[in-house]
Amino acid sequence: MTFLDRRRVLQAGAVLAGALAAPALLRAQSGPIRLGTLTPLTGAGGSYGPAMATTVRRAADEINKAGGVLGRELLIISEDDQTSPEAGLRAIRKLIDVDKVSAVIGTWASSVTTAVAPVCWESGTFLATVSGADSITLLPHRGYLIRTQPNTTLQGRKFGGFALEIGAKTVAFVSPQTPFSDSQYAELGKTVEAGGGRTTKLIYDDKKTTLRTEVDAVLRGKPDAIVMGGYTNDTAILVRDLYRANYKGRLLGFGFAINKQLVEALPAEVSEGILTLSPSAAEGSDGYKHVARLLGTDSPDPYSCQVYDHLNLVALAMAAGRGDTGTVIKDTVRTVSQGGGERVDSAVEGLKRLAAGAKVDYDGASGPCDFTPIGDITDSRFRYEEVKGGRITLLKIA
Amino acid sequence: MEIVLQALANGIVSGSLLAVPALGFSAIFAVLRYPNFAIGSLATVGAYAAWSANTAFGAPVLVAIGAGAAVAGLTGIALEAVALDRLGRGGPLMKAIGSLAAAMILENVVRFGFGNDLHAFDLPLARDVMVGPVRVGPQQLAGLAVALAVMAAVWAFLSLTSLGRSMRAVADNPDLARLKGVSPRLVSLVTVFVGAALCGIGGTLVGLDASLDPLVGGRILLSVFAAAVVGGLDSIPGAVAGAFLIGIAEEFTVLALAPAYRLAVSFAVIFLVLSFRPAGILGRAAR
Repeated sequence: MTFLDRRRVLQAGAVLAGALAAPALLRAQSGPIRLGTLTPLTGAGGSYGPAMATTVRRAADEINKAGGVLGRELLIISEDDQTSPEAGLRAIRKLIDVDKVSAVIGTWASSVTTAVAPVCWESGTFLATVSGADSITLLPHRGYLIRTQPNTTLQGRKFGGFALEIGAKTVAFVSPQTPFSDSQYAELGKTVEAGGGRTTKLIYDDKKTTLRTEVDAVLRGKPDAIVMGGYTNDTAILVRDLYRANYKGRLLGFGFAINKQLVEALPAEVSEGILTLSPSAAEGSDGYKHVARLLGTDSPDPYSCQVYDHLNLVALAMAAGRGDTGTVIKDTVRTVSQGGGERVDSAVEGLKRLAAGAKVDYDGASGPCDFTPIGDITDSRFRYEEVKGGRITLLKIA
Repeated sequence: MEIVLQALANGIVSGSLLAVPALGFSAIFAVLRYPNFAIGSLATVGAYAAWSANTAFGAPVLVAIGAGAAVAGLTGIALEAVALDRLGRGGPLMKAIGSLAAAMILENVVRFGFGNDLHAFDLPLARDVMVGPVRVGPQQLAGLAVALAVMAAVWAFLSLTSLGRSMRAVADNPDLARLKGVSPRLVSLVTVFVGAALCGIGGTLVGLDASLDPLVGGRILLSVFAAAVVGGLDSIPGAVAGAFLIGIAEEFTVLALAPAYRLAVSFAVIFLVLSFRPAGILGRAAR
């Protein structure tokens, strides 16, 4: 190399890089605002993730049609976390490093959220999740994380109360190992014991195709009620094996496991009488009806309602903070979610009010969406349901 | 005592469900000399084929099992012919890796075609009955019977038919078999068909006992692999022995330890057996 020495090549490279980077910086200010969804399209959460991603995309289309946020379009990039922390981590790396999103919406399984949250707060990316494990909001996330799902301590307490309400004195908690099984059992135990009852626990391997021996072990304790802490696939196996073993007590499970597909996959007499408990969306609210319209269904699932709220909150926070970064969202999200102002239930409406100089308070499809300093919601209602004749029927919302 | 007997009965039932795909895995290993990790996905394909035959076409369960076996067998042949056979030039490791990739593709094809939702066969669920102190399920007994019948049929095929004898000849000594005029290509394809069909039957039996989703085969893969290794990778009777050993060991885990340690116990069994008999219970070196 005679006429191109190393120094010149480096200089030329630096100039070229600068020239290429300059328009990119300009583009970043004027192009679309990039947001990611990270939902389980496959794996245990595979029955929820697709609808969640669709909800966010359709809600973003509506915002774009109404003029976007800060005069810019929202561009939604959807990735699949496969309900697996490893896959989730790869996907969030792509969303943050390659797609340069300012917020990620939707992580479902607590294990996935726990794995991806540090990448978000370290890179200044905002994360809105539907995961319930207590440990998640206790992470040192510096405000970059909110969730719309009530934590598992609250859910465990509600399960304990529900078991006592149906007259159970001996309650068995049967669950695979999840990030929330311990905290849930602890709260369930406290509540049941405070009501004069007794609890036992069995943790099973959710990859097993039969749980007969586990069922035998649980039934030796003669429980009046069994609280099932698993996901749909393993819960289906557990329910079948309990039926075969002639168990006559009551079964309680999470709404995300005892769902339409589980009931359809089991003969009606097997699923008869299973009780479920799940954080309730704000049924009947305009936000809820809006999600129903977006998805073309009468009863959208609670997670689709939650991600709809996530997108609206992110859009409003960026507009209120006049910026498109995760840090802006983090700093302003509570100014649009709570603290009084004009009540709004969609970003389109809220963006108009903000543009007119008003203060807004977002109440969404999943509930009031007010957050504690660590990112938990302050209030949630629960939906109590029972499987009757092969259908899930509502008992009460309380 | 009753607890132990009950766990033993449960172990025999789950061991019999593992034995059928383990036979398929060992047969393929014995003749083609590579571990085919697509067996889990082949089991899924067979189970979905059987389920479709049962629910969409109203086929009775035994016919559905046959349909599942046929579709899984043909899928196995297609995989071998289209992809794995060529990879064989790179050695058995390449083929093993290729089979892992094929497993993922197959699983996702099933997911694409049938979705993620749970499915179940169109069958009522029977309550268990007490036989002495032990609780047994009529459907699980039927599953056990099918598994035993399939194992007997495989044994008859290998010992009584000329194709079966050719398979054993190739497994024992490929060069000698070739000198005797046995076509290695034909024997390979027949072995793959039989092996994959056995996986399809295994997947269907698991689907009949529990329910169906695209991961049904993937969930049994490690246990099947453990069973084949413990039994001696290239030994067909060893696969059956290994499957029962692993099935029973996994159920006893629930009694002695927390059930979550089930797979760890399977692999502890492998470690123990291979420490004393490096070729497995009935592997080649031990014979």
